[in-house]
Amino acid sequence: MTDQWITFSKFGDAELVRLSGEIDMANSGEIGRAIVNRIRESGKVLIDLTTVSFLDSAGVRLLDALIGDLAAQGKRARLVVGERGPARMTLQLCAFREDVLETDLDRAAAELGR
Amino acid sequence: MTQELRLPWDEDPDDLYEHAPCGYLTTLPDGTIVKVNQTFLTWTGYKRGDLVGHRRFRDLLSSGGQIYYETHYAPLLRMQDEVHELAFDVVCADGRTLPTLVNSLLARGPEQEPRAIRTTLFDATERRGYEKELLFARKRAEDSERRIQVLQQVVADLAAAPTEAEVAEAVVRAPEAAFGAASSSIYLVDVERDTIVAVASTDPTTGNWDDMPRSSPRAVARVADRGDLHVVGSLTEAKQHFPDLAENMRRSGRNTVVLLPLTTGPADEQAGTETLGVLAFSFTGERRLSDAELRVVRLLGQQAGQALDRARLYDAARHREELATFLAETTRALDELHRLLPRSRILVDRVVPEIADWAAVRLSVGPTGVLEEKGGPAPDADLLAHALARVTTTGEAIFPAPDEKLGCAVLPLTARGRVLGTLSLRMAPEHLSVAGEHAFLVELADRSALALENSRLYEQERQIARTLQRSLLAGNMPGGDARFAVETYYQAAGQDLEIGGDWFDAFMINNDRLAVAVGDVVGRGIDAATTMGQLRSAIRALAGDEVGPAKLLEALDRFVDRVETARMATVAYAEIDLPTGDLTYACAGHLPPLLQEPAGSPEYLLQARSAALGSRAGDLRRTQTTRRLPAGSRLLLYTDGLIERRTRPIDKGFELLAREYARRRDAPLQGLTAALADTLVGRDNTDDVCLICLTLGTEERIERTIGADRMQIALLRADLRGWLVSHDVEPETRDAVLLACSEAVANAIEHGYRDDPFGTIDVAATVTADAVEVKVADHGTWRGPTTDVSRGRGLQLIRESMDQVLFDRTDGTTVTMRRAREAE
Repeated sequence: MTDQWITFSKFGDAELVRLSGEIDMANSGEIGRAIVNRIRESGKVLIDLTTVSFLDSAGVRLLDALIGDLAAQGKRARLVVGERGPARMTLQLCAFREDVLETDLDRAAAELGR
Repeated sequence: MTQELRLPWDEDPDDLYEHAPCGYLTTLPDGTIVKVNQTFLTWTGYKRGDLVGHRRFRDLLSSGGQIYYETHYAPLLRMQDEVHELAFDVVCADGRTLPTLVNSLLARGPEQEPRAIRTTLFDATERRGYEKELLFARKRAEDSERRIQVLQQVVADLAAAPTEAEVAEAVVRAPEAAFGAASSSIYLVDVERDTIVAVASTDPTTGNWDDMPRSSPRAVARVADRGDLHVVGSLTEAKQHFPDLAENMRRSGRNTVVLLPLTTGPADEQAGTETLGVLAFSFTGERRLSDAELRVVRLLGQQAGQALDRARLYDAARHREELATFLAETTRALDELHRLLPRSRILVDRVVPEIADWAAVRLSVGPTGVLEEKGGPAPDADLLAHALARVTTTGEAIFPAPDEKLGCAVLPLTARGRVLGTLSLRMAPEHLSVAGEHAFLVELADRSALALENSRLYEQERQIARTLQRSLLAGNMPGGDARFAVETYYQAAGQDLEIGGDWFDAFMINNDRLAVAVGDVVGRGIDAATTMGQLRSAIRALAGDEVGPAKLLEALDRFVDRVETARMATVAYAEIDLPTGDLTYACAGHLPPLLQEPAGSPEYLLQARSAALGSRAGDLRRTQTTRRLPAGSRLLLYTDGLIERRTRPIDKGFELLAREYARRRDAPLQGLTAALADTLVGRDNTDDVCLICLTLGTEERIERTIGADRMQIALLRADLRGWLVSHDVEPETRDAVLLACSEAVANAIEHGYRDDPFGTIDVAATVTADAVEVKVADHGTWRGPTTDVSRGRGLQLIRESMDQVLFDRTDGTTVTMRRAREAE
């Protein structure tokens, strides 16, 4: 059951994946599978991390793999991360690709639409 | 035999034969007349020559007589040789019939062969007439008896008929049984509506069944008006007087109609009698009713009238009783609920559909007012609004006439001289015009108004009590002191209950001494709220440097002698010396505080217990107990609403509270009390719940041991997070420490214990004003530098997020990490 961490919805024509709570090595595998199943048909994906209260390296690995796979399939994706907070900190510390990070959903969606 | 008396003259036998006082006939065995005397000829007018040798005796008889002759006379005569006093009608020459009595003898020859029949005939005209008269008299007597029986049955039925409908049913059957009527119908006069209504008939295909006004020209209405028995003997007669009746008679093939008014009082006294109904019965032929029958008919009218009168009184009494019962039950139902909205709802629920099709209660209470509505259809909105405005202004009820378009009664709800609102009712039109119902509706509105006004006052008081309680409980809790933190929670009982007298308080006695208290005042409502405030103030005033819990309770015992409403209140009171961590507490009849020290299980503090305040039967020796609490201890004080539930024994409540409390030992203090209340009580609580939780000092150092299970990392993080928060570690540093610690533990699980699922990991952390230091140690095996990219990222994160990281692999792996705190 991954419902406590993930909610799926649509934002414009993009698939919106909202993550919340703590994402660590205990649940990242399960979360990853749920997301992959859902976004298989989507051309555009937004992953909202603004309510994530903890993100560890396993979480980073998951996001890294997701972004990489989507790019390989020619799909566009953006991560929405607050300007500060645990998720931003972890991603920054890992030197995650800045070009896929946005601070708000509208701008991220606009980026995808271009 | 005596010697024959000698007559004064010679008797000529021929003359005797010819002129005997009876007729003589001699016939052959086949009946052919061979000899006849003059008397017979004189009686019948026949000539001798017509009969002798030409006619048989039977030829002279009426057709019925001829049959009788063949079936009785002839066989009897043949068998017995004689017959006596057989009645025959002889048909005379002119066609008249002559009733006779006949005696015959059969004369036989020497060989016993029939030779001749000798017959005498006596004129029975007189006797037959007498017999007829007798028969007629008997029939009359029987008819009369039957009518009397029918009447008696009707009277008996009427006596047992408690309602108009049953009276009608008993009466409507009588005319057929008593007089052989073809059909009958009964009409009743409705005085209140000024109409006459057909209620029963033995043949509903006849007659006109429409209600008629009492002033109608129709026969039934006219007869009811006059109060006299009318016998309409023929269609012609009907046409002359009652055209509508003639039409009905023609249609249903009736020739005689009796219209009998059913009256109260004796028929011979016209004055003072009242016509309650009309019984109409009809005959197919033209039927004359004898005087005796008419007497019975009149009697029937009186009996039925009286029965109707009785039933009417009875109906009225029963109706009054029903209304009285309805009022009583409504009042009782309203009393069952205290709050205004439920009461308004109850009122419309009672009224619809019992007495009205639609009802609305409107109350001008509060900013928006109250409207409860039920049933339908609702009256025209504009007309209703107009009526509502008028009733509200004048305070007078509106009862519209049956044909008025408003179609609903509007009653003021008046209590204590004020129009609180309105009760509008749409009823069947016949109800609206009844004067008796008006009084009833006014009574209903008055009673409801009183109940609703009481509810309104109750709501007002409840609101005041709640406001008072809120203001008392919302007082400033001491804070801003790193040595302790306080978290409180108050949850009122389910919405329909008055507020209880639960309260809590925390205050500083001096710079180093903190007092916390929880109590429960007996009773509910505004009194309880006021008392609670008084008691709370008393405790604040009485507490002092040298007082302590025991002396404070003693002082409160004296206090309740002056404030009687506080008697039997319970209090749990504790003082904490912040520099030493010494807890001194006492409980006056209150549930024991629950203590959670940093290590070990929660513990109920069961010392220093005594009776409730001012108890007359309980133990009032107030004692206190002191124990030293280690930093990081959490003390919970609460009221009984938290653990007492009807569905759960209290010891289970204690157990559950201890378990839930322990489960949250590492949870941040913030939200703890609310979470406990939510878990133990939920939202459907029937009692108020008060909690106050005190965390004393803060652990300088946190030490935890967890299994090599990735699921446990989250629990450790929660623990660590709470600890960091309690030390006011700034968010950036806190998140960094949590991340590094998580990664180090993950590392231990994935590398040190990759072959050992039962390994343990020790985590220890310290916080100072300058830095946070965390040590994560496992006892697993180290297999050289990792080539795993992902773990590499973990290690990178540890290094990036902390200022200093040291790996020691002498015995398993120990990672020591330090991060400087941000400057203020």
